[in-house]
Parts: sequence; structure tokens; C-alpha cells
Amino acid sequence: MSGKAQEIGKLIAGSLLSGLEAKLAENVNVEGVSVGRLVVVDGVQNKFFCLLKDVSLEATNEDILLNPPSDDFAKLVHAGINTFYKVSIQPMLITAQNPTEEDRPRPSTTVPPHFSPVCEATEDDVALIFGKPGITNPEIGSPIFMEVPVCLNLERFCKRSNAIFGKSGSGKSVLARMVLGYLVKSDMAINLIFDMHGEYGWSATSEAGIDDPSLKQLLGGKIAIFTVDPKSPLYHRIRPDFDVQIPYSQIEIADLELAAGELGFTQAGIETMYRLSDKWGEDKWLAKFLTMDTDEFAGVVEDLKVNDQALGKLHRCLSRLKRLPFIRNSVADDTVTRIMDFIQDGKHIVFQFGRYNSMLAYILVANILTRRLHKLYVDKTDSARADGIEGPKPLVVTIEEAHKFLDPQVAKQTTFGIIAREMRKYNMVLLLIDQRPSGIDDEILSQVGTRIVGDLGDERDINAVLTGLPSQSTLKVLINNLEPRQFLLTGFALPMPVVIDAKDYGRFCHEVGIGVGAIGDEIERRKARDDLNEQVYGNDEIVFD
Amino acid sequence: MTYSGTTDRIGEIIEVYTTRFLAQSSGLEDLPHFGSFVRADSQDTNIYGLVYNVHEVNTDPNRRPMALGLEREELLRQHPYLPEFLKIEFDAAVIGFSDGAGIRAYLPPFPPRIHSFVYPCESQEILDLTEDLDFIRSINALPGLPVEELVAASIRLAYAERGGDRAFLVRAGQTIAQLLKDEYEKARSIIRRISDVG
Ligand SMILES: Nc1ncnc2c1ncn2[C@@H]1O[C@H](COP(=O)(O)OP(=O)(O)O)[C@@H](O)[C@H]1O
Ligand SMILES: [Mg+2]
Repeated sequence: MSGKAQEIGKLIAGSLLSGLEAKLAENVNVEGVSVGRLVVVDGVQNKFFCLLKDVSLEATNEDILLNPPSDDFAKLVHAGINTFYKVSIQPMLITAQNPTEEDRPRPSTTVPPHFSPVCEATEDDVALIFGKPGITNPEIGSPIFMEVPVCLNLERFCKRSNAIFGKSGSGKSVLARMVLGYLVKSDMAINLIFDMHGEYGWSATSEAGIDDPSLKQLLGGKIAIFTVDPKSPLYHRIRPDFDVQIPYSQIEIADLELAAGELGFTQAGIETMYRLSDKWGEDKWLAKFLTMDTDEFAGVVEDLKVNDQALGKLHRCLSRLKRLPFIRNSVADDTVTRIMDFIQDGKHIVFQFGRYNSMLAYILVANILTRRLHKLYVDKTDSARADGIEGPKPLVVTIEEAHKFLDPQVAKQTTFGIIAREMRKYNMVLLLIDQRPSGIDDEILSQVGTRIVGDLGDERDINAVLTGLPSQSTLKVLINNLEPRQFLLTGFALPMPVVIDAKDYGRFCHEVGIGVGAIGDEIERRKARDDLNEQVYGNDEIVFD
Repeated sequence: MTYSGTTDRIGEIIEVYTTRFLAQSSGLEDLPHFGSFVRADSQDTNIYGLVYNVHEVNTDPNRRPMALGLEREELLRQHPYLPEFLKIEFDAAVIGFSDGAGIRAYLPPFPPRIHSFVYPCESQEILDLTEDLDFIRSINALPGLPVEELVAASIRLAYAERGGDRAFLVRAGQTIAQLLKDEYEKARSIIRRISDVG
């Protein structure tokens, strides 16, 4: 199955720290050598797995640069002698030449000898590093230029908070959907997904979601849809599992602070809120304030010694909450209680926003629910520990626009900041999805266990995702060269960094979707048709002669 | 295998050194080519050389040669004894030998003996001598030779002998580039001279 390793050059220089250098073999076309490739250096006793990080033009003699060969013949004969190509590679892992079953690749602690052959990695090499695909080790793509699976170790993935970064159009939502789908399938953790743009639950892109099915279409009963907009036309084919309503009493000032930009108040407004809360009670002030008429303000101004214009402005700002019909004085059912019920049943929850997909609604819902859930988890975990029993089911909370919750100004106090920093202590981790990682607090970034990084145009964003990582200069080159649907994977769930072409979403759907969810039958039907075609016409191209 | 023959001989050695020999001939219509491969048959060994200098003199002791202003035909008609006094001398750089066990492209343990005869190389000998291109290295190491011209001329010849084998030309160019990697200008001028052929 694996071809013979193709030698691309010989090792000529370098060090473990700064990386190795190889002279490219003359028969290798330099334009086919690209950064991000996996290469293997064949040492005497060990194989060194490396990442190709740079290619350079070299000359043995200044004269040739001053007076370059003019015709093709001269270029050809000087190539490899007066001029050559150098590839820089970074050693990452090492394994014995003939590994036994127990030998796992381990971090490289030395370098191979001079002139060791440098080869392209083979299928066997990739399988040795990233393991064989399986339910807890799903394939999420292949190394660029290769057709071999790169698998994500879900067990390790769930042990830390993780992130998927990439600018708009880089393919991060599709990749996130695949990662989440595999997490759901594997049952390694319960997922709670705050789905701002309606991409993870029930998709509306086409009638039955046949062409772009989302998790509900694919995984059916394992997914529960919670929505703040049950009347959305999105749901004329399915019934959401729960209508989310949030009472004013559960909104804390900290929640509003997080949405200060969206609501439009300033520091002065926050101080006023604390006064109101002190006076009227934490859980009552907001509802009371919002039902007040402007002519009642004079009394409040008198009573609380606040500025009357400031009070008016705050009232106008907070009144925007009234446009969100799911925020109410009293609610039919408590969302967090329901969440816990579903979690208990082993169901994964996607929060959808329908027509209320404003940042304001998103921030409030995600923050309020996660905060309450986190409290519950902390209590449950602590008491389980005290009783020596198993704690609540591990939970992965997915948030988009993560920088809104984790910017350096607020990350110290927000629930999301706390979860990210406490690292699974209470069985809760985050999956951050963001296109602006530079907006996220550094300390949080350095706690991220596994980073999945797509194309990021902005230098600051690239620097941000590298926070706290080894071999930053190498990784930076790799990120700079990413195309849409290509990702650099690095961190806790991967034995070594690798650049992949993300798995095709259609293939993913076939893999997870068959037999479950609304989409299953359709896929089966099409597959049966394809199989029939194959039986009738064979797999090969049909040739008429 | 050693080659021998008498019919097409082109000269007789009159001076030898380890690295070169001087041969003389008379009555030749055509001069040996600069850069051509020659063989001296000396005892049991064939010694191969590359012609790097050709020299024609009038040896008439009574008369100093002078310009006569005549076309060649008219010249021979008016001076019928002239060819007897014309001598051709050529220098060849030793580039290899064969002692029955095949051709070796490096210096023989001894030079050819004086008065050995010199012949042009057979086609197969040229192919064998130029196979590994080491002769370029030998020539480059000899002092006082017009190296650039000589290497280029001999490679053009060997290329023609191979029926215009482009791969050979590329290999030769690469050998030159390698050998002269610290003398890029020299390599470049040779390479320009050999790339002319095709
Ligand atoms: N792995 C994939 N397989 C198939 N199509 C993909 C894949 N990744 C991205 N795409 C295509 O690219 C488009 C943009 O991807 P998306 O994940 O929405 O980008 P982002 O969330 O980074 O803005 C998708 O709508 C889809 O058509
Ligand atoms: Mg997206």
C-alpha cells in the first residue's frame, strides 16, 4: 500500500534547535517542493519526522550570481554544482528504524548524521505518527500533497480547551462541524454549541439539507435543538426540542457589561446599574427599571443620587433588551434545568438564534447559560469528589466570536475566561471558534490545548495563535502559506504539528450520516445508485475503441 | 585490446615528457586537428594524447622560408621539392593509456618511447577515453595549455563521435562546472564553447 519513499535530498547542516538543512537532489523539481510537507530523515538507527519549513536558492560562488548563465544549457549544467536548492526542515519526532509495537514516536532529542537521505513521508510514516482512523481517532484530513488520513485523538482533545481559528471563508465552520460531529459520534464528551449563524444544528441551506446537511440532519436523535426563535421558518420541518426563554432576573450586570458595546453604555452606566441593583435587589432591578416610564425618573435620581441624563441614557440602552422576545419577566421552563436533563440523557445541545442572531442576543444567551451551568458543574464536581463518585459528564462548550467573551479587558472575570483557565478541573472545556484571535487574551490563548489554524490574513492574528508555542518561526511560515480549507493542526491532541487539507465535507457526511438522521436514507439511496453503476459499468473509466 | 596500424600514421615521436610528447610528420596533406585524440604505440602500451599545439616549419637548411605570394597549386609547380622540406610538428598532452586491460584515463607509469609512431584514435577509443570525462581533469591540471579551447575542442569531437548525444554534452558540462566551480568565468567560457554544437 505504501510506495517506496522518494528521496528529495541529503542532509548537509543544521541543529536540533534551529532546524536542519538539506541539499535538494538535482532530479527533484523545486517548484514541487512546498512548505508544510511532512518529510522523514533516515538516520542510522532512527527515523526523524520533520516539517519542511523553507526552500532557498543557493550558489557556491558569488560570480555566478553576478554573471548568471544565459542559456538553458548553461543553467542545466550549473544546476546542482554552482547553484542548488536548500530545504530547511524542523525535526519534530523520532522513532526507531524498525519500531516494535510499543515504540511510539517521541520528541526528537538529537539530529541524524551528515548526508542522511531526506525523503517524502510515506503512508506508513503518517499512520505511525497519527494513528489509524477509528471512532475516537477520526480522520479530519490528509497532510497536504498526500492521500493519507490525519487523525485527531479525541480523548486528548477533550482534556483541554481547544480552538479553531481562521478568517472568514477559510473553512473553519465546516471543519468545526466535522470535529463536533465526530465528538458527538464518539460520545467522548457532551457538546453544547452556541450556534450563532445556524451552521451546526439544523441547516436551512436547502430544503432537506441534502447538499449541506448539518449535525441534526446527520445525527438525528443525538442532537437536541434549543432555540430562542421557535417561530423561525427554519423549523417548518422539525420541531426544536426546547424554546429558550431567559428571565430578567437571571441577567447579571456582568452579562450586560460584556455586551456594553452592543448596548451602547459606558463605565458611568455600569456604576448606575450597581446602584440600582443595590437598591432594588440583584434579581429585580432590571425588570423594574425597564418597566419604568421616563417621568418616574425624577424619584430615582433623587433617591440614588445619580445623574438624570445618565439614567435616561442607560434606560434607552437597556431598552434594546425589550426587542429580544425570549427575554421575559417570567419564563415557562428553566433552560439550565433542561440542559442538565438532556445532558443526563447523553444528548448534545445546539443553541440556535434564528432571526435573533445579533451579537447582543448571542453574548447574553451564551454567557448567562454557561455561567449558570458552570456554577452547577463546579458544585456537582466538588460534591462528587467529596463523595468519591463520578462527576457530571464532561462537557465541551463551543462558542463562536470567542474574542467577544475573552478579550483581555474582560477575560479575567467572564465565565468563559474562567473555564479556559481552569483546564477541565470541573469537567468543562471550551471549543473556541474565531476569526480574530488577536482579540483574545494572551493568557487564555496559551492555555488552548489544541489549535486548528486556518488561513489568517492579519499578522497580529497569526502572532496571537502562536502564543506560547514552540517552533514559532516554523509554524508562522506554515500559517502564512495556508490556502482555504487547509489547516495547521498543533498541540495536545496531535503528536506533531501538521498541515492538512481538511476532509471533504461530503465524505464526512457519508461516514457519519448513514443510518441516522433525516439525511441517512437519501445518502443510502444515492450510494446504492452509485454502487449499482459501479457493478454495471465497473470502477474503471469506460474506454471505447 | 591494443590498437596498431601503419597505414594512417600521422607522426613519429621526437621528444617525450611524462605529461606530453612531441611528434613530427612529413608529407601530410592535412594538419592534425587541434583537440583531436591520438595514440602512440609504444612497446606493449598504447599511450593516448590530445593534440594541443600544431606547428609547421620549413627545414631546408639552405633557405630561409619567406612569403612567396603564390596560390598553393602554383607554389608546388614552381617549387616541386618544397614538401620534402616542410615538417609538421605537434604536441600532445598525455591523457591516458591502455595496457591490454582496457583504457585508463590517467597518466601512464612511463611516457611513450621516442620514435614511436602516432596514429589518430579509432572511434571506439575516443568513446572509451571520454566515457568518464576524467581527461578534462588531467588537462586542466597541466600548466601552460590553452585549457579552455582544448577542453571545448575535445568535447565537441567526442560529442560528434557519439552521433550528437546530448546527454553526453550535459554530463561534460556538469563535469566542467564541478571541476571549475571556483573558477566560474573559466567554466562559463568552456560551456559556452561546447553549447555551440547543438
Ligand atoms: N472541508 C470542506 N469540504 C467541502 N467544502 C468546504 C470545506 N471547507 C469549506 N468548504 C466550502 O467553503 C465554504 C466556506 O467555508 P466555511 O467553513 O463556512 O468558512 P468560514 O467559517 O471559515 O468562514 C463552505 O460553505 C463550503 O462550501
Ligand atoms: Mg463560519
